[in-house]
Amino acid sequence: MSIQGQAVPAGDARATDVLMRISGVTKRYGGVVAIDNLDLSVYAGETLGIIGPNGAGKSTLVGLLGGAVTPTTGTIHLDGRDVTALPAADRARQGIGRTYQIPRPFPDMTVEENLLVAIFSASPSLRYSQARSDCRGILERTGLADAAGRPARALPLLRRKRLEMARALALRPKLLMLDEVGAGLIDSEISELIELIHSLTGEIKSILIVEHVMRVVKECCARLAVLNFGRLLLEGTTAQVLASDDVAAVYLGTKHGAAKGGPAAQAKTEVAPLSQPDPPKDQARAIAQVVATASSAAADTPLVELRDVSAGYGLARVLSGVTLTIKPGQAIAVLGTNGAGKTTLANVLNGTVKPTAGQLLISGQDVTGWPSHRLSKLGLAQCMEGRRIFVELSVEENLRIAARDVPVAIQRERLDIVYGLFPILAERRHGPGMALSGGQQQMLAIGRALMSRPRLIVFDEISLGLAPLIVDQLYATLHELRAAGLTMLIVEQDVDRALDLADHVHVLEQGRIALSGAPQKIRSDPRLRHLYVGEAD
Amino acid sequence: MNTWRPTILWMAAALVVIVLVPLSTGEYGIEIGFRLLLYIVLGEAWNLMAGYGGLVSLGTASSVGIGAYVLVGMLNHISPSLPLALTASAVAAAILAAIVSPAVFRLRGLYFTVGTLALGEALRLFMINFNYFGGATGLFLRDDPPSPTGLYIYAAVVFALATIVISIYTRSRLSIALRAVRDDEAAAAQIGVRAFRVKLAAFTVASALMAVAGALQGLHLGTIEPYGTFGLQWSIDAVTIVVVGGMGQRAGAIVGAIVVVALAELLADYPELHVAINGLILIIVIRFAPAGLTGLAKRWWQYRKAAATPFAPAAGNAS
Amino acid sequence: MSGAVLVSNLISGVLLGGDLALTALGLSLVLGVMRVVNLAHGEFLIGGAYLGMFMLQLFGIDPLVGLLLIGLILAVLAYPIQKFLLSPLIEKGVEAPMMTAFGLSVILQNVYTILFSGDTRSIERSYATEPLVIGSVTVAQIYVIGFAISVVIIVLVHLLVSRTGFGRDLRAAATDPTAAGIMGVDVKRVYALTFALGAACAGVGGTLIGLAFSFTPTSGSGYLLTNFAIMVLGGLGNIFGTLIGGMLLGFLQSLGGVTLGDGYRELVGLVIFLGVLAVKPQGLLSRGRI
Repeated sequence: MSIQGQAVPAGDARATDVLMRISGVTKRYGGVVAIDNLDLSVYAGETLGIIGPNGAGKSTLVGLLGGAVTPTTGTIHLDGRDVTALPAADRARQGIGRTYQIPRPFPDMTVEENLLVAIFSASPSLRYSQARSDCRGILERTGLADAAGRPARALPLLRRKRLEMARALALRPKLLMLDEVGAGLIDSEISELIELIHSLTGEIKSILIVEHVMRVVKECCARLAVLNFGRLLLEGTTAQVLASDDVAAVYLGTKHGAAKGGPAAQAKTEVAPLSQPDPPKDQARAIAQVVATASSAAADTPLVELRDVSAGYGLARVLSGVTLTIKPGQAIAVLGTNGAGKTTLANVLNGTVKPTAGQLLISGQDVTGWPSHRLSKLGLAQCMEGRRIFVELSVEENLRIAARDVPVAIQRERLDIVYGLFPILAERRHGPGMALSGGQQQMLAIGRALMSRPRLIVFDEISLGLAPLIVDQLYATLHELRAAGLTMLIVEQDVDRALDLADHVHVLEQGRIALSGAPQKIRSDPRLRHLYVGEAD
Repeated sequence: MNTWRPTILWMAAALVVIVLVPLSTGEYGIEIGFRLLLYIVLGEAWNLMAGYGGLVSLGTASSVGIGAYVLVGMLNHISPSLPLALTASAVAAAILAAIVSPAVFRLRGLYFTVGTLALGEALRLFMINFNYFGGATGLFLRDDPPSPTGLYIYAAVVFALATIVISIYTRSRLSIALRAVRDDEAAAAQIGVRAFRVKLAAFTVASALMAVAGALQGLHLGTIEPYGTFGLQWSIDAVTIVVVGGMGQRAGAIVGAIVVVALAELLADYPELHVAINGLILIIVIRFAPAGLTGLAKRWWQYRKAAATPFAPAAGNAS
Repeated sequence: MSGAVLVSNLISGVLLGGDLALTALGLSLVLGVMRVVNLAHGEFLIGGAYLGMFMLQLFGIDPLVGLLLIGLILAVLAYPIQKFLLSPLIEKGVEAPMMTAFGLSVILQNVYTILFSGDTRSIERSYATEPLVIGSVTVAQIYVIGFAISVVIIVLVHLLVSRTGFGRDLRAAATDPTAAGIMGVDVKRVYALTFALGAACAGVGGTLIGLAFSFTPTSGSGYLLTNFAIMVLGGLGNIFGTLIGGMLLGFLQSLGGVTLGDGYRELVGLVIFLGVLAVKPQGLLSRGRI
């Protein structure tokens, strides 16, 4: 199998017909705008790539096109017909197939039956023998032929991803939407994937690829659309788009993008100032009170140790043999692309994912397999991905719940300190968590993590889906906390920011630590850029 | 198709054993055999819904009751033809299922169970209070019911029909869509499965079969009243049969029905203790053997096979 | 039927609805927080009625005096049920705990029959039968007493859920159990306490119902469904919605009883339940989950 794919189909798709068009579509979830007044067309005969950082609204877009998500406003047309109100099942029968980013096979059915579901819904009166032979054909193409009779539950993650694709193909779609099918694949598997996609271009009218793996995007798509904050940041030929500085800024760090004032900076305007940029002088001392600084004697014994930890979900192994040490006062950054295992690592530290092998130690004590609430009592706090604010609790209750074990007087002291850090939270203290904007929710999440006076806070993707201005403020706070001596582990997609803050960096690739070292060293390492944008070929 | 051959052989063998053995053992055997056949039909129908469709119903009584009442009504007032009456029972229950489906399918999972429970209770209360159908005292069959042997043969025919219907259903494209909905309704919709229709099909077929079982029971008793005919006991039996036998397992209903009938005979003198023990068995099986006795047997078989061939290749391509 | 009798009937229905709302609140808390349909809830309720009866017969304690003790006993009995029977199943989806509760319901019904016989029972107290006359309106005293006690307890439960640390933990565990655990909440303990609280509501409400009506070992299933109807009317986890739902259902049941005959009271509740499920399954008064 050749690593290098064939030439991309000719790029002049605009001359041809529009297969699917979404016009003025907005999708809100509560107060969060996932897709913001988006206009986008998928042309017949093209392979369109959708790229953009996590939380940009890419998966929501797939949901909107597939009918799983109904738009708040706007219309969706397929072949010129309005399908906005058409339910997902009927859209699938009209020829829209999709894969899920996290595979959702029918676990208690065989692989073959998984495909038959789609085949029979595409052509209900097909003969059984014909259906089975179609099935075999698709399974051969997707490399699953040997698994036809096995229950889908028994497939490991990567084969489940193939099954996702096989099932979508079994629908004989006009439009095939592939949501992050490349994530977590190794190079040779990516080559196979690219080859498969190329082989489909003749028989499927249009393909839409949502992807972080740049090789897939570069080799399969003639045209790219970049989403950021639910809006179209840029649209054009693949070469044009990838050469754009704005795109690099969106991926590698928002500092440069914001400074240049490109469309990225103006895309989202969360206007009101959310916290005072420069804190009062005595605040540093106040912060020091919520931060459990280590005594100098204990500074050398590691606070947290992961020894050869493997973990995953069911049969899907996400982390394999990760060893990592956090000493008191350190700020460790964990970088890596989607699916590399960053959040699983954070989940091992918070007790929601139990290691399948290896040990987790806190101050030398083996705490492998302990439930979350007991780990939290040992001084581990977490600022979770997606913020996970208790939307039905008031702002103050959200904060107090994390300081549950201390007397009210001390709770009040800590509240004052958190309110000092984020004055907006004090204003909203009695309002529900639901009423906060994304940035305010993230402040609340940080404040909540501080309330237990933890020995370590894991910050998991705190910049996700937030405007650069807000992320600047959040990171300013993190720098203050670090200066006050807080031990932290930062899981971050924004490489620049993480490198600025950390004093030691690990880069995860396919569940293993691929690269470790001081931030300056990592920053200049060519492998880093290669992992993210795949430019260093 | 040759994949059918083992099933047909297996079914035929079961049919011969189940039908012939009781016939040769006299009145008691026929009585037990009749109940066994009835319970297998109930279990098969309930298993189609819950095991294949994830539709855990506690409304078995509504179908059973409708079946019995329609049968008696047909025989007393419309036509003495038993096949016609049984068909009418099935159709009536299927129509009822279709009518209530918008209510019980609206929210997934839990509300189906509670909704069907409410349906059974509502019908029971209605029948008790509504005097046109005999009210609380119920109805009598005007003509004599068939002899025990005749009844048994009817039950055997119904059993055979039910087995055929369920066998075809569970091997057809309908069952593939049904199981897809059970496993992940949203993902199924994304590949074109219209979940509502798929669930409705299983619900109506199962309701019709349960109604025929109820009709036979009505025929057997000769007199029906709302407390028993629409009683919760039918649901308890159906649930126990399938959970003990194995949800979603083709042989589940047969195995479960044998256990339930045997238990009922053993504890016939202690009715309350019997039902309480039913409940206890239910709890234990759910906790420790979620795939039921057939599931346990399968696991034990695989374990034996694996032990016999220590270096067997990883399970998978054999099927 | 005279206007006064009609009005008396409807008022009785509304008052009784308060009792039923208290028991429905227990069901709603357990479903809202733990996603468990406690199909044995009706048997907990009847258990409360039996406790009230025996307390009076054996120790001469007036059920109203022993009400809190009854709630406590039910809670203590329910705690291990959650801990050992339901808790290990909660991660296996919604069906396994629900069917386990169903098994428990079957066991309890028949154990009651074995221990207490299938006879129809009632708790004999003078205030249970004596009427309260206000103008031309006549209602049984127990209806008024039961309503008052139920409303007080519902308000107390509301304060517990909205104002206390336990209530905060409960709401957090209901919205996001994973995040709650990471914040230090012992979610399993919250679940077990919630289940105990639900059983206590059932027990107290059951005693009040036992004072007003006769009961048998199998009366529970009817009340279970009535409680579901109230929960759906009031919105899952909406505490005051449940109270309003209870009063509304009590009113409609009385109206049904008056117009169609007394036997149709319960049927009206079930038909409303199925109707609401079909039309607006999130509940008529739905707002938050807890």
